[in-house]
Amino acid sequence: MTPLIPRARFLLGGAEIAAILVFAAAFAVPTMTRSVLVYSVMNQALVGVVAAQSVWIMLRMNLLSFASPAFMAIGGYTVAIAGQHDITDAFVLTAAAFLLPALVAVPLGALVLRLKGTYFVLVTFVLSQIMQLLLFETPGLTGGSNGISGIPPVTFLGTELATNKQVVLFACGIALLATIITACLTRYFRQHFAAIEENEILAESLGLVVWRYKALGFVVAAGIAGLAGYSLVTMLLTAHPSSFESGTAVDFIAYTIVGGRASILGPVVGTASLVYATNLFGTHGQYAQGLYGALILVVVLALRGGVVGTVASLVRRIR
Amino acid sequence: MEQFLQAGIIGVSLGAQYALLALGFTLIFGILGVVNFSHGGFYMLGGYVAFACVEHLGLPYPLAVLAAILVTAALGWVFELLLIERLVDDHLATLMLTLGLYLVMSTVMLQVFGPLAMDFRFPVTGALRAGPIYAPLENLIVLAICLMAILGLWLVLFRTDLGRGLRALADDRQVAMAQGLRPRILFPAAFALATGLAGLTGALVTPILSLSPGVADPVLATSFLTVILGGLGSLGGAALAAFIVGIVEAYTSVYFGGSIGALVLFVLVLLLLVFRPQGLLGREARGA
Repeated sequence: MTPLIPRARFLLGGAEIAAILVFAAAFAVPTMTRSVLVYSVMNQALVGVVAAQSVWIMLRMNLLSFASPAFMAIGGYTVAIAGQHDITDAFVLTAAAFLLPALVAVPLGALVLRLKGTYFVLVTFVLSQIMQLLLFETPGLTGGSNGISGIPPVTFLGTELATNKQVVLFACGIALLATIITACLTRYFRQHFAAIEENEILAESLGLVVWRYKALGFVVAAGIAGLAGYSLVTMLLTAHPSSFESGTAVDFIAYTIVGGRASILGPVVGTASLVYATNLFGTHGQYAQGLYGALILVVVLALRGGVVGTVASLVRRIR
Repeated sequence: MEQFLQAGIIGVSLGAQYALLALGFTLIFGILGVVNFSHGGFYMLGGYVAFACVEHLGLPYPLAVLAAILVTAALGWVFELLLIERLVDDHLATLMLTLGLYLVMSTVMLQVFGPLAMDFRFPVTGALRAGPIYAPLENLIVLAICLMAILGLWLVLFRTDLGRGLRALADDRQVAMAQGLRPRILFPAAFALATGLAGLTGALVTPILSLSPGVADPVLATSFLTVILGGLGSLGGAALAAFIVGIVEAYTSVYFGGSIGALVLFVLVLLLLVFRPQGLLGREARGA
């Protein structure tokens, strides 16, 4: 039987290849500098971009999710608890940090994907709040309000990743992996996701099994968020509830909306520019939220495509 | 037994505060279809305006509360008219706009007043005693004002032309517009009414609890919880749910401590949202 929507002819498009190349090129940066500031900014951006990709996957189906900190917490705490049991192998931890949140997302998705629009936003916000409370109420497992500290560094092919440079390189690796997964998913199911984004009811009436693609997106987005949590915990060597507050979802949403939601380059450009701008504030970093807020207002009112969408339309006009 | 009764009094007092917040939140959703992420921000702004009026302008506290209502209502009016109005039918866009406004508001407050909690105290102290039971006077005053405000809101919505117009728009916008109702006037009015209520709650409650840039987040979460439980857009449901949340919160904190009560409430709300998105008294789930 001919599929309703043909598969993409090429697995990856120009934007996907560009995003992957950006992260492949990022490996070169730690070899060119020893600046602690650069390492710190890169780490923040690399964690942020992975979390933003998780938000972006859901936005491809017009679903705004505040659940990324909850799945980040599952990924991050999985790694922390594994570290307490002397499991430090990078491959095992990467698989666990992706698969565990994804597995948790299967039954959760069956529940929450019944909702759409505003109700989906609210339910994901509630999910993040529940996760935060669970972290505090399960001190035996998660360390409660103290979190889990003193996590041993990850080992990669027998080498302990203990230096700042190694940690940044590792974060580059996680970001590259997350980008490849996101790119493959959203490119392969590009038309399916676009149909759901455009008009879910129409897509369903034309025979598209909408729940299947929404569930797939939700599960993979949870796994990607888990990888962001993994990267964060590896950088801090601590898993603490404050790292996974529901409010942090706002940052990842800002990265995605400001960068642009039409292309995978959106979260990449949005994260890079907002993390860089935040660090420009220096000691006034607490005012970054105001900057994010103002940029969200500007993008929603005037630049609906975000930075990437606006640049793309300018290029089209010039041509 | 005394502990049980006292927890009940605190629960009802909390419930009245939550009701004021939730009524404003659900009013905006019911009429405009907008999920107002800046609702907690308006609560915080109300607190800061009242504080500034008392501390810097030397106004008496009741006038400071009035100023807080006026400032938050005016800002809500302007925000709706200038920004929300442009994209009022795009739920995701309006949600992002209110989120953006909230981030800007909290940063401005942080810049002006700093990150530390303000020394803002309720002007009346003491307690009312009835045998072994006692209730703080400040809680009773806030409870009385909140109940009066809820009654006032009910009168506005059900006994005035403005209220009838707002409810007509909430019921069916197209038919209401065909009847000559003008959303361009009524939508900003609804938004201002709701943000004014949030400002009033902030001005009343922050002197009892605390006033810092961080107070908005829990308020937003509680507003979400309450309106989902009551049914988004349902005024009666929001009021009922607010008292349920307040009483459950008071009893669980007295008998269990910690955040078990909040956790139980959130899980209940999650299940309710999934299996009955229209909440306890909501009629239909808009877009769910």
